[in-house]
Amino acid sequence: MPGLRAALPAALLLLSSFPPAAAKQPPWPWVPGVMHALNPSDSQASAAARTALHYSNYHGASPSRLRALHQVLKATVKAIPEVGMKYYMHFTTEDYITGEDAGSCLATVLYLKKSPPQVYIKCTHTQDKKQIHEEDNRFYQYLQHRKKPIIASNIPDSYGNIDRDHLALWGLAIAGSSCIMWERSREKLAYFVAQVKAVKQWIRKDSAVEFEFMILLHETPTQKIDLCHMHLIWILGHPLEVKYICTSDSHGLEDGSGQDSGSAAGMFHGKEGNF
Amino acid sequence: ETSSHKQIPESYNYTQYHPMEEIYTWMAQIQKSNSKLVTQHYLGETIENRTIYYLQISQPSDKTKKIVWMDCGIHAREWISPAFCQWFVKEILQNYDSDPKIRKFLQNLDFYILPVLNIDGYIYSWETARLWRKKRSPHMNGTCYGTDLNRNFNSSWGTLGVSYNCSSEIFCGTGPESEPETRAVVQLIERKKSDILCYLTIHSYGQYILTPYGSTTEPPSNNDELVHVAQTAAAALTEKYGTSYEVGSTSSILYSNSGSSRDWAHMIGIPFSYTFELRDKGTYGFVLPADQIQPTCEETMLAVTAIIDYVDQKYFPGGAMMLTSGSLGLSLCLTAVLTLIVP
Repeated sequence: MPGLRAALPAALLLLSSFPPAAAKQPPWPWVPGVMHALNPSDSQASAAARTALHYSNYHGASPSRLRALHQVLKATVKAIPEVGMKYYMHFTTEDYITGEDAGSCLATVLYLKKSPPQVYIKCTHTQDKKQIHEEDNRFYQYLQHRKKPIIASNIPDSYGNIDRDHLALWGLAIAGSSCIMWERSREKLAYFVAQVKAVKQWIRKDSAVEFEFMILLHETPTQKIDLCHMHLIWILGHPLEVKYICTSDSHGLEDGSGQDSGSAAGMFHGKEGNF
Repeated sequence: ETSSHKQIPESYNYTQYHPMEEIYTWMAQIQKSNSKLVTQHYLGETIENRTIYYLQISQPSDKTKKIVWMDCGIHAREWISPAFCQWFVKEILQNYDSDPKIRKFLQNLDFYILPVLNIDGYIYSWETARLWRKKRSPHMNGTCYGTDLNRNFNSSWGTLGVSYNCSSEIFCGTGPESEPETRAVVQLIERKKSDILCYLTIHSYGQYILTPYGSTTEPPSNNDELVHVAQTAAAALTEKYGTSYEVGSTSSILYSNSGSSRDWAHMIGIPFSYTFELRDKGTYGFVLPADQIQPTCEETMLAVTAIIDYVDQKYFPGGAMMLTSGSLGLSLCLTAVLTLIVP
């Protein structure tokens, strides 16, 4: 019939403009290149914000200015095919040690499968830059001029106490550990500093400050406690030089005893400076 | 100071962390000095043969009460959790005389408080490894220790967010309820489940009030109500010191995990089941300073009482009328009138 013959090509044209019914759209977020809004309380949004802050705290190279996540205000995510997931966030922060408001940040975090996440972060400054610089300088001078190396353990101790004298040292440990935490962060793996198990200073003749740390990191969602041996060199005004190895990096500890934070911690009881 | 029969042991410091021996002593003393309201009950034994006790706070009465259950110390390193259970008991007993709200709760509700479930792990975290999480069950000929009790319950056991390897911190055990501690809780709660309205389990850290489920993203049947009540509780908490808590299901705002006690409690029919993750958000983490015990407990108390209040109002509406002598007079009058009208 003439009508049908005319209708058929039109119908085919119409059909071809739609994707074939058999090939369903993959569920988000795997639709490449499309931004999807996240609920700000979504765990992925917080994790990405923290990853960005680890990067910032490490590159800031300042024990007196460390930020912790306060609240995620807005977050979106995009799948980049063959590469990974990229998070875009706006969040507020607080001072890591005092809890005071420390301004807000805009950040992007691209999680990769086998390398450290790529981070871009820019924060507003509510803290007095001059004051922070002075505090860092004071602490640096103090460390530089020491004749006897600082040796300490358990910061904080089991009861959460930190000696006033050790607060800045804790800050330095966190700044250095942030390198480890940033590099190890993956889309489904996040880190916190659980405890500084031990710290020993190496006295130098030049202007640099040198330390060895044993850091316990808390990994989520595995709930693992990872013991990391961190070597840190700090020259004021320069990026921190951090080298580290963690127990989970070593296959020799697969028997499980290395994962036991009990036995690892036991190595350092009463053995300060002996590593 | 022995005149009041609601005596709290004077020397006990609720703003410090206490080792297990001191908590055992405290429980016995609390019962002894508050024998009208408090009974210490045997729950079961740990794998290292230590006795697990819970405290029942119950106003003497003829009627069967409904139950609010709260357990602390499933994970050894979360010291603020047992500290909160002890604080809660102290607050209820200390304010029983002065706070009409508490007396109202206790008219129809009994509180069952388990201060430390994972006793072996807790002791281990005091004596050997501060950051130990699991219990101390030996596996593989004693080369590996510990099941994660909060992956061991029969709620989609062994499916998500677990490990089958003993060396993992989230090892779910050799089977659902494989651990005596889990079985001890399950047996009691199963037996009383038709009377239990509210199941609370206290953990740290993170500052969350978590609703079911962790084992699926499928929301529970009473999700709207659960979330609404949790939000009310979180708001009450924030009012005290500005501490902000997030509210949501474990699977959406935390991470997926199966075998949790909270999921199991809701799945067997306990309507108001929540997990609390107390202070902080990672600065001190598990080693929360003792000077934060008081503010943490005070603010958490407001959240927990908000939940209990809602539950009480929902299942026992209008009970408040009975408390004042004025309204007692009114109800007596009404009774008199009714007996005259009704032959």
